[in-house]
Amino acid sequence: MATNGKADTSSEEETETIISTAIETGESRDRGPTESPRTVVTARDLDVYYGQERALDGVDIEIPENRVTAIIGPSGCGKSTFLRCINRMNDGIDACRVDGELRFHGTDVYDQGIDPVALRRKIGMVFQKPNPFPKSIYDNVAYGLRVQGRAGEVDLDAAVERALRSAALWDEVKDQLDSSGLDLSGGQQQRLCIARAIAPDPEVILMDEPASALDPIATAKVEDLIDDLAEEYTVVIVTHNMQQAARISDRTAVFLTGGELVEFDDTAKVFENPDHDRVEDYITGKFG
Amino acid sequence: MSDASASPDLERSQGIERIRDRTYGGFFVVCALITVLTTIAIFLTLLSDSVAFFSEVSIADFLTGLHWSPNPTGGGSDFGAVPLFVGTLVVTATAAFVALPIGTLTAIYLSEYATPRARSILKPMLEVLAGIPTVVYGYFALVYVTPALKATLFPSISTFNALSASLMVGIMTIPMVSSISEDAMSAVPDELRQAGYGLGATKFEVSTGIVVPAAISGIASSYILAISRAIGETMVVVVAMGAQANLPAVRDGLAGIPYVHPGDVLLDPGMTMTVAMVQIAGGDLTGGSLPYDAMFALGLTLFAVTLVMNVVSDLVANRYREEY
Amino acid sequence: MSIERSEPTFGRVSRLKGTVFEYLSLGASVTGIVALGVLLIYVAIDAFDLVNASPEWLLTYYVTLVLPLIGFCLYSANDRSLIRRTAFALGGGLVAMALTFSVVESFVRPIPRLTWQVAYLFVVVAPVTAYVVFVGSREPIGRTGFGLVGRVLGGTALGLSLIILFTVFDERLWFLAYTLGVLPAVGVLAYSRVNPSSPVSLLPVPVALVGFVAASVLRGPVDVYPTAWLIYVWTLVVPVSAIIAGLTAQRDGETKQTAAIAGVAAFALIGGGSLAAGSLGVSSEHALLVLLGSGVPTVMFGRRVVASDTGRVGLFLPVLLVGGALAGALIAESFGFPAPDPWLDASFVTSSPSRMPERAGLYPAIVGSVLVIAFVALLSFVLGVGSAVFLEEYTVESGVVGATTRLIQINIANLAAVPSVVYGLLGLGLFANLLGLGFGSVVTAALTLSLLILPITVISAQEAIRSVPDHLRQGSYAMGATRWQTTKNVVLPEALPGIFTGTILALGRAIGETAPLIMIGAAHTVFSPPNGIWSKISAMPMQIFVWSDFPQAEFRYGVLAAGVVTLLIVLLGMNATAIILRNKYESGV
Repeated sequence: MATNGKADTSSEEETETIISTAIETGESRDRGPTESPRTVVTARDLDVYYGQERALDGVDIEIPENRVTAIIGPSGCGKSTFLRCINRMNDGIDACRVDGELRFHGTDVYDQGIDPVALRRKIGMVFQKPNPFPKSIYDNVAYGLRVQGRAGEVDLDAAVERALRSAALWDEVKDQLDSSGLDLSGGQQQRLCIARAIAPDPEVILMDEPASALDPIATAKVEDLIDDLAEEYTVVIVTHNMQQAARISDRTAVFLTGGELVEFDDTAKVFENPDHDRVEDYITGKFG
Repeated sequence: MSDASASPDLERSQGIERIRDRTYGGFFVVCALITVLTTIAIFLTLLSDSVAFFSEVSIADFLTGLHWSPNPTGGGSDFGAVPLFVGTLVVTATAAFVALPIGTLTAIYLSEYATPRARSILKPMLEVLAGIPTVVYGYFALVYVTPALKATLFPSISTFNALSASLMVGIMTIPMVSSISEDAMSAVPDELRQAGYGLGATKFEVSTGIVVPAAISGIASSYILAISRAIGETMVVVVAMGAQANLPAVRDGLAGIPYVHPGDVLLDPGMTMTVAMVQIAGGDLTGGSLPYDAMFALGLTLFAVTLVMNVVSDLVANRYREEY
Repeated sequence: MSIERSEPTFGRVSRLKGTVFEYLSLGASVTGIVALGVLLIYVAIDAFDLVNASPEWLLTYYVTLVLPLIGFCLYSANDRSLIRRTAFALGGGLVAMALTFSVVESFVRPIPRLTWQVAYLFVVVAPVTAYVVFVGSREPIGRTGFGLVGRVLGGTALGLSLIILFTVFDERLWFLAYTLGVLPAVGVLAYSRVNPSSPVSLLPVPVALVGFVAASVLRGPVDVYPTAWLIYVWTLVVPVSAIIAGLTAQRDGETKQTAAIAGVAAFALIGGGSLAAGSLGVSSEHALLVLLGSGVPTVMFGRRVVASDTGRVGLFLPVLLVGGALAGALIAESFGFPAPDPWLDASFVTSSPSRMPERAGLYPAIVGSVLVIAFVALLSFVLGVGSAVFLEEYTVESGVVGATTRLIQINIANLAAVPSVVYGLLGLGLFANLLGLGFGSVVTAALTLSLLILPITVISAQEAIRSVPDHLRQGSYAMGATRWQTTKNVVLPEALPGIFTGTILALGRAIGETAPLIMIGAAHTVFSPPNGIWSKISAMPMQIFVWSDFPQAEFRYGVLAAGVVTLLIVLLGMNATAIILRNKYESGV
């Protein structure tokens, strides 16, 4: 994938050309059969409040399996909130209240009987800032399998190697698995976190601006990696970088201020010919 | 991919981890509740014996009686706590006289004048003052301070006296005043200082005219806490102040106005509430006797006073905190 | 604000008032510190009888012990300007102190019981030495040297505490408790590491408890026991050797073979060393415990230093110090310099109290303090960390739980302000009288002091837990970890150094508390150390309080001073440990 990792977001004139380039290269990508894939996560009329403040407003979305779905929008539009709803990471915030319906394979995630811990074992997550544990690289990757009580069932060494290979980190760290995850560079740390997320073999991987703390070269590597991950996993990625969304995603959801999902369609369609003027304004940099 | 079935297994499981999580959670709740139970236990312990005490001695006699002579063998004992209140007041006031100005000036120096390096040296050293065991301060007062005072300023000072004990209590409470006051002064936003400098004020004028008034609630709160600490202080006074529950002699002044000579109060032995408790504890611990109950009545008084002061200090600190 | 009128345009604003105020507040800041410093100097003079130390004697040790130490630190720091400044401070301080004293003594009044040489030692040499030690110990050579000395001293203190604990406690009960409780529990733990989802993994704590109960039941009927030495080997040396082997195996580039060798070597070192000491007339049990405490960490540290390239010279610091002390003693002896006869000496810390000042000692009180503090450490650590974990990790902000949490939090703040004498009444009324745990017994004292410092341990543990970055928690929860797993695997390992620091500082408070001990009826004088958790004890501060009632000058200015200095040295050791721990982990992260 010929990415332009050093894209300068500040320049409006360049923006459009970069996006179109990205989309062209994106279209050359082949992601399995073209018939519409199964839906993994479905939201119906999803509202989220923080205390009195509404963070999401009636979101309807269907996230397809084995595809990269990008969520973009201006700061404070609720895109991270939506992401954290999917694996119920918002549970930790007391003031947060969720209305409406969010289904994972048809099961209501916010049903009384659902265990958020069990849910998170099916839905991995990668955060904005690389957050490896202050443990060895090996222990970082093995963490999920261990806490999920599966360390005895699987070959842990093999699972760690597989996850590190999938995260394109194996060759760089295979000789220092016992050294601390914090000794790695920022980009390596983020790939370590991705390896950590995929080691227990989840179905969905949520990524909250995974490249925003990285330099352009590390960003490019992570983007390549996301592209590969979609072969096996369903990826939902929040990004504030529109070029990135254009480069790596199959579907794009645009949230605008007020926590409203304004447009959700194929990435090429969203960037070339959006249905809504507000989305077009946002994408061309007139707004946001 | 392992499990892509239509309805994934997300039900609340009764797995091992869940049981473990619950068990530890329960244990932690119990730990936290023990802190509450401690308060309740303190209150009930004090109350039960105090009730027994006040059924024998009326509250009015206890609070207004001028003679304190609990006799462990029973009979002919007096439980008027006024001499103890006076003793406590003398120690507290003298200690406050030392600790409050010194502590405030220290706080101003640390917050406004000191370089980061000076602060990093001074602050831990001040903390040492609060870390020395109080019985050691009592020893210092008895063995070094009193003889030094006798040799220099007050030849008539007695071996056990309120002055040297109070001085030590004062030194001990300096860090309490200085650290809380300094926190309050450091929390004053820099814009206020800049505004002062912008008006052509000197550093002295900014410190005393802007920072101190802005931090006044924190400073007041630190004063209350320090005084409350001095009231409850035990070992310094037990070791250095002696144990004579006398009211100071009232002298006739020149103009016929009766007065109490400070020397009579400070240079002679006295007794605080805490000393009275320790004195009874030295003789009678098995319970059931009136002096034993009197100890708990004094403890309840002390507990109530310090609790009220602590709550007041909190209120004072919170009331003005929202200004900036 | 007074404006002088000489300048034509702006004038000048007088800073006089401000300058006076600045120096006034600086003076206030140091008032308390200086007062305490003077008092500490005097108590040290009394405890070590420095009044009778001749200048020649002081000079001898200054040259053989202090100057080499300063030289070592300067060598480690390797900083020319520091050498210049140190020399200037030591030399200038000498002149200044001599001058000040002669001026004061001839014009004002003689300074009692303080010669200018002693004053020079305390006011100039001590701070300068402390500073160069501080600077020198940050460089590799100094770090090695002081790391080694610290491990030897700290480990020996640990070993001595173990000896004290085993003189009080029955080692045979410990043997049964270890064999029936600790060992099976560790086995279960190891099994559940491999099979985490098996129900067996819930059992370690119950297994241990059952084992302890069984041990206390069987202690009476069972009659045949190994010797104390074998018990120590079985319950302490074997597990420590196993842990060493395990730690070695985890380290980079170590094979299983080296790990096994390390374990066997540790075993041989302690076992063999104690037997060798036994043949030299020292109790081989005591030697074993001291070697366990000091030898293991020292050797491990030394091995690490030798393996690395930097700072190996520092390993000679102990030689330098011991050699200096021996040389000093030799010189002072051969020239017949009048030496002081310190009150605080080996016999003071090993004998019982006595009416005769020269025979009075602190031993039973030291044992009492160690015993009580060991229990307080255990109790307040468990309760403090448990409460803090609930308040920081388990609670929610809203609803009934949230309201309860706020109540608990306010309550803890208020508990911290309750006078210690009131805790004494709690101990007396509740533990001693109502529950019948004994007046002044180890149990009553430990429970009372644990509750006394509980607010401090909770608050400091909360601060340590709060300082763990939230993104680590998020990372763990996102992996499907439960709250307990997140707490155990991510939060506590990060917060533990801070928790330890706070707990040690709180224990320092507990070890100096006297009023609660008086209230619960701790013994005024005990002549033998306690022989169990129900026996009546004294404690170091309690003994000081009792001695302060003795009118003789030998007690006031001798025995008491020695007791106070002992207590302060123990406190200093604890606080230094806490600070070193904090600095080590703060710089390590």
